[in-house]
Amino acid sequence: MHRAPASQQALSSSLQPSPGASADVGFGLRAAHYEVILQRGIRADFAEATSENFLGRGGRAWSVLERVRCDVPIALHGVSLSIGGIDPLSEAYLAQLAQLATRIDALSVSDHLCFGTFGGHYAHDLWPLPYTEEALQHVVERVQRVQERLGRRLLLENVSSYVEYRASTLREWEFLAEVVTRADAGILLDVNNVYVSAQNHGFSAQAYLEGLPRERVQQIHLAGHTDGGGFLLDDHGSEVGEPVWRLYEQALALFGAVPTIVEWDERVPDLTVLEAEAERARILASRRLARDTSEAG
Amino acid sequence: MKLAELQRFFAEAATSNAGPRAGLESVFVTDARLSASSRLGIYNRAYYYRLLDALASVFEQVRRSLGEAEFRRVGLSYLAQHPSEHPALERVGRLFPAYLRARALDEALVGLAELEWARLCALVAPNPAAVVTRANVDPAKLPASSLRLVPSLRWFELAAGALSAFAGEPLTTAAAPDHVAVAVWRQHHVVRHRQLGGLESQALRLAAQGASTSEICTIFDTGDVSQDVPRAFEILSSWFDREWVEGLAAPGS
Repeated sequence: MHRAPASQQALSSSLQPSPGASADVGFGLRAAHYEVILQRGIRADFAEATSENFLGRGGRAWSVLERVRCDVPIALHGVSLSIGGIDPLSEAYLAQLAQLATRIDALSVSDHLCFGTFGGHYAHDLWPLPYTEEALQHVVERVQRVQERLGRRLLLENVSSYVEYRASTLREWEFLAEVVTRADAGILLDVNNVYVSAQNHGFSAQAYLEGLPRERVQQIHLAGHTDGGGFLLDDHGSEVGEPVWRLYEQALALFGAVPTIVEWDERVPDLTVLEAEAERARILASRRLARDTSEAG
Repeated sequence: MKLAELQRFFAEAATSNAGPRAGLESVFVTDARLSASSRLGIYNRAYYYRLLDALASVFEQVRRSLGEAEFRRVGLSYLAQHPSEHPALERVGRLFPAYLRARALDEALVGLAELEWARLCALVAPNPAAVVTRANVDPAKLPASSLRLVPSLRWFELAAGALSAFAGEPLTTAAAPDHVAVAVWRQHHVVRHRQLGGLESQALRLAAQGASTSEICTIFDTGDVSQDVPRAFEILSSWFDREWVEGLAAPGS
């Protein structure tokens, strides 16, 4: 298989550019925080909204989105696109997603490099793909169709996983790099997911990061995980672990300061806890940005 | 093995209500720490945990009425037969009331499930284009105008016991329960429901069919103007007060 070095591939100018180097930080909007947000807004540079929670909806959720949008940009992050699935892409879903992205002038649109549909049904989970040439071609073609439909670049997030296919012929990071390069997409790098999968499958997290095309890493996710007994469980139910913070610093060193989101989905704490986690990310990203600026100058 | 086959293999293991079967080592990597089946078991448990949790969050009162263990048993059985068909997780319970009915569970319990599902639908319904209040209605045009109802409003009949069960009372079973009409809607951010009188339910049906306000008022015609007019006024006024009307349509529009 011929593969041009991913870093040499230019980003297409025909697609809406995603945010570049920045120490901006934010967190995902969760229903547990809606009342507080409606009262006092959020303390962040941008926010992330789970796309499916706002498609075709009104009510409190929509009011929160409008309230936040008045203050900061919103990144849309989906969980049901199933970009690697064999079921047809849902035109209805894409139409609603395009409409939502336009309506809130979304900062970015992202989803996961995985599959989550089967026989017309939704798993509501992020199932890993086999990393084969067939899967690669399948995903690339679908990413291109989605980007054409949305009229903007799609960011793909690496998922955490607990199982690998024997049929895989590429490492996960090689697969991700190839997909985004061939499809001219971006990467939403979930540092916690890299760490969790590295532990679960015994590969080097550092090698993962070094294998990615630097200019395509457009956003970063941070989250917590727990020890499942023999494996790490990516449950987004705790503070970001110290090993993940260290890996985040390594990612910043490799990719420069990248807009970063802190996610928390289980046992969601007070909003101030998320804001404190985001603040820690901001300090690290700002430090990296200052160093890069100084070196460039 | 082709991509489609690999995905079918994975999905079967992750969604089987009997858990992943043995012998998956030929398809998935196994190691000294965890077998392939154990690794797929993580996905299998997550699949049912997530869907059952979503079901429980929508049907809170059904869960309370059934008890935790029975709700889990019925819920898992439902989910095994009715996987999610919607990209939004909470919609997985769309067929749950019908499933309970098909299992010949108590009518009041089925009604409770119908009420909770209707409340979810009202919660997530699109916002109305506008809300018409009594103050901005032109009295001269109202009789000939039809009413466009807000997207969150729906009404239906259910067993009367469902309403008291929703309010926290024990579920009462009856061989032939009374049925009542109920309206469910969202006002501002709050989902509400209320029992409807028979005439009001008929009036709403007429309104939804595009009848003019004067045609709707004929529902309340008993021949006694002194009672009919105040009654019609009271009910139609309440629709505006509850923010059920998003627009008026002039005749022929």
